[in-house]
Formats: sequence, structure tokens, C-alpha cells
Amino acid sequence: MASHYPTGLETIFEKQRGISRVESRHGYAQVHVSQIETRVMETRLRVLEGVADAGISMDFLKLTPTGMSFMVREDCSATIEEILAGTGVHFSVRNGRSIVLVYAVNIRDEEGMIANILQTTITTCAKVDHVGDMHDRLLMVVRTEDVDRVVNQFKPAENVS
Amino acid sequence: MKFGGTSVATHESRLASAIRVIQAKEQGFKPVVVVSAIGRRGAPYATDTLIQMLRDIDQSVEPDPRELDLLVACGEILSAVIFAHTLKTLGHTAQAFRGGQAGIRTDGVYGNARIVGINPISLFRSIEQGHIPVVCGFQGVWVPGDGSPGGELTTLGRGGSDTTGAAMGAAMKAESVEIYTDVDGVKTADPDAVKGAPTLRKVTYDEVAEIAHLGAKVVHPRAAEIAMNHGIPLWVKNTFTDDEGTEIVTREKFPGRRVTGVTHTGKLVYLQFDLKNAEDGDRVPIEQRIYETIARYGVGLHMLNMSPGSTGFAVPRDQYAIVENVLDGLVVPISGRIYVFQVGQAPSREVETQVALLGTLGEVRRIAAQLTEGCTMVSLVGHEYMQQPGVFLAVLKTLYEGQVTVLQTSDSDYSLSVLVPEAEQNRAVRLLHERFGLAEVR
Repeated sequence: MASHYPTGLETIFEKQRGISRVESRHGYAQVHVSQIETRVMETRLRVLEGVADAGISMDFLKLTPTGMSFMVREDCSATIEEILAGTGVHFSVRNGRSIVLVYAVNIRDEEGMIANILQTTITTCAKVDHVGDMHDRLLMVVRTEDVDRVVNQFKPAENVS
Repeated sequence: MKFGGTSVATHESRLASAIRVIQAKEQGFKPVVVVSAIGRRGAPYATDTLIQMLRDIDQSVEPDPRELDLLVACGEILSAVIFAHTLKTLGHTAQAFRGGQAGIRTDGVYGNARIVGINPISLFRSIEQGHIPVVCGFQGVWVPGDGSPGGELTTLGRGGSDTTGAAMGAAMKAESVEIYTDVDGVKTADPDAVKGAPTLRKVTYDEVAEIAHLGAKVVHPRAAEIAMNHGIPLWVKNTFTDDEGTEIVTREKFPGRRVTGVTHTGKLVYLQFDLKNAEDGDRVPIEQRIYETIARYGVGLHMLNMSPGSTGFAVPRDQYAIVENVLDGLVVPISGRIYVFQVGQAPSREVETQVALLGTLGEVRRIAAQLTEGCTMVSLVGHEYMQQPGVFLAVLKTLYEGQVTVLQTSDSDYSLSVLVPEAEQNRAVRLLHERFGLAEVR
């Protein structure tokens, strides 16, 4: 064999399937806007406009039949309350929310993986407010007091194929 | 050089692909070819056609995963042998290799195996002898460690041939990996929705992974990840044009752009379970039962939505029958109360029977799921720009003014998605493409 070729390679190529890592982000507030009775979409847009004009970034926007909910940084809570009060909508702002991120490579290609992570989280009796996903992770919004319980539930699965 | 199904589908397309290989050789490279099965869904030797041959025997009997892998691997074997012979007819000696012969070792998960190692010694020998190696994509061999001679043939699941191409490139320390297909590269949107959608000249691995996750049919994230981890330049090119294609790079080489593109998924069905009938303390076990059942049947979920009074998600339409089958009529007894699941507005005969029978035993409550059929998910994909104030507003306002009905939304660090009626999908894609100036992006 010519020696300039790499030979005898046994390289690790792909990440192990399954959960590889769990982490959490703290300091969020959950905003619920509800009881919009007429012109629902226009009202939602008006609220979002107020939030955007204040330069506040939001995550996990979800529509409900008569409103919506979203997450902001907890340190923006007071500003959000002012903005929403100004729009005249019915709302609530709940501090003490965190995001738990469960990493699993190619999460959608692993059949049932997303449902499995959710089911495991629910088993801890943590209340999941919202869920989002990326190609390599599931993001779940839970109360900060529940974070350790959820994270610990996944710790044994870390780096297990 | 990896060639997808359409690049090896006909004699003419194989000639076009083979000429690419020969040109590379004439430029002084030592090409190694990876091929997919011949043609796409419906073609005689395509993977789906081969699977259908088994299902046609008896729909009620699930094929054994081991036998299924042996069967579907035939598609790539045929393709590799025919491609190697095509090269020979053009005056270039070539050798076809099964995945195992090419040294690809996998774990033992039939139908969705992962590569654990590659020893490409046989390919180096083939090159030394003046051949062009042609490797079957999508397959490898699992050596169980129980002394079984030869090992077990496995297939790599979704994106398998792209993964073979990238992994082989990494193992052989290739100059680059080129994925050949029938489009010019990674585009800002599906050209069927946006005519003239530009081809992106560079995208980051993160961008390509996210747009693939959200429905775009480009290089598979598994392949991108392998190339990224091994520092191998990865290209997506068109077999049939001279377009320069798209280079997939790290963020150190290219910071990415505010918005990469607009993607859409296939057809979805959205289910929203109303939990207001449930006692407060019963909601957790009910949700747990829903997701446990879905997980057991391997259904993929999109657009997850959880609120105090409901939980919902979208499933691919081709998996909806499974969901209906396992959840409609499902009975969950909790503390003397009996919950019966109903999927859809009108109760099925099974639900009516369950309610009638169980009513004699105790209090029966229905958990009804409202169905929205014929919807699809449209996503705006980018980097941290998605977190900027006002981006979600811009998306919703644009769609509202364009009279697109937004049924639900979801977001992540790199994307914002909306669930819209299928009939409004292409309009939604066009509106967002225009609003975020993607026609000008390169």
C-alpha cells in the first residue's frame, strides 16, 4: 500500500442517538393575553406592535382562540405590564419561568423521540407551559421551581445511546 | 461525489453524472463515487418500490426489519453496479462496492443505523489499481461481536446516502464532498412556490440543518454534521447544469445572514385536545397517556402546543391514521373517573360503544380532539435575527395583510413557524419571501 494514504482509520462519525445533554435557561416570564372577543387577529397584532416598539424580544408565541401567550425576559415584566395595560386587553404576567433544553441529535428522525421526552417531563409532574423544537433539541418552558426535577429526570439518559 | 436518485435515474442522467466524475479525474483528482438507488418514489428500483413489493404480499404482516434492510439495499447495489459499468463504457475502469465492502461499520439498528467507523482500505486499494470506486450509499454492516461471519447488512435511514458520502469523504480525508442533485443548490424557497428563488452560495451547517428539519429537501443534517466535524468542505451541486452550487461552511468562515429562507413541510393534520372536561389533578396523567401512546407508535410531532386547558400538535398526514387508530376510543381510568378519547367532532362507533359500556361502571368524561386537516407548516429560518424584537410581528402582519389564515405558531432559536391551510401554503411562502427580501439574497 502507498503510505501517503491514511490507513486503518476507525473514526467516530456520528453522534450517538438519544439524549446527549440537558441544560436550562432561567429568568423568563410567561405572558397570557386572553378574552379578546372581536377582531382577534387585529388585537393580537396591536399587542405585538407595542411589544416590538418597546424593543422587547419574545419567544414561544402561541395563539389561543381568544388571545395568545408568549415569553419575555423577566426583567421586562414591568414594561410589558405597562404596554398591555395601555392596549386595554385582559392579560396576566407570570414570572419564574425557565426553559429546559433537551439535546438529541436529529430529533425528528428518531421515531417517537419528541413525544417520549414530553411524556418523561410530564411524569415529573412539572407543568409544561410551552414546547418548541430544533433539529437537535427540544425546548420546554416550565416553572423555575420544577427545573431541577425535570433536568434530573434526563440526566441518566445523557450520552446513553 | 455523491449522486442522488434523479442523477442515476436514466441512462442519460447516469451519463451526465459519469461525465462529472471523469472530469474530476481528468483534473487530477481521485474521485470516489457514492450512489443512491435509481430514481425516486414510483421508479422500479427505488427504495419505496422495493418496500411496496413486500407490503403487497400481505398488508397485515409487518416486514422483518432485518429482511427489509436486505431488500432495500438491493436498490443501491443495482445502482452502483450499473454506474460502475457506465464508467467502463466510457473508457474508465471502475469497481462497485457494497457499504460493508467499502468498510462502513454501523450499530445494529436495522433501518436507521448509525455509522460507528469506516476503514476504507479496499477503496484505497481500488484507487491504487487505477479504478474509480463506486460505493452503495445508505448501507453498512453491523458486526454483532458474537462471531457471526460477515456481519449483518444495515441501512442508515433518512439521509443515508448523503451520510455515506460525507462519512466516506471524512474517512478518506477528501478535498471536498460534492452532493449532486437536480437543483442548483440550497435555495431561499421551494422554486415551485417562488419562481426564480435564488440559490444561496454559502450556508452554514446550522442553517442547513434547520431548514432540513423544517421541511426543505436539501442535504441531510447528518451529512452536514459529519463534514463539519471533520472539516471537509461540502457542496450541493446540480448534475445537469454548470451552476457553481452551494458551499456549506462553518460560522467562522461565513457569519450567516439575517434570514436564510422560507421552508414548508408536507401535509399535516393538527389535533387540539380539550382538557377542560378533566379534573385539574387528572390533566397530567391524561397528557402523559397521550404522549406515551404517541411515542410508542413512533409518530413525529410538529407545532406542539400546551396550555392549561388543552394540548395540541400536528402530525404528518401519512401518520394520522395511526394516531386516530390508537387514540380514538382510548380509555383512561383515573380515581374512579373514566375518560374516553374522541378524535374529531362526531364520535366514532368505537367511542359510542365505549361510553355506553363504561357508563354502567362509573362517571364517563370525553376528551375530544378538534381536528384541522389539510394544513402545512411554513417557516422562516435564520440565525439569531429570529430573536430580534418585531420579527414575529412582521411575519404575522405580512400574512394577515396577505389574507393567509394563521392557525398556530411556534418558534425556536433559529426559526419562526406558522401553521396555515394547505391551499394558502405557497402564498404564505411567497409573501414571507418578498417581505424579508429573499429575492436579493445570495
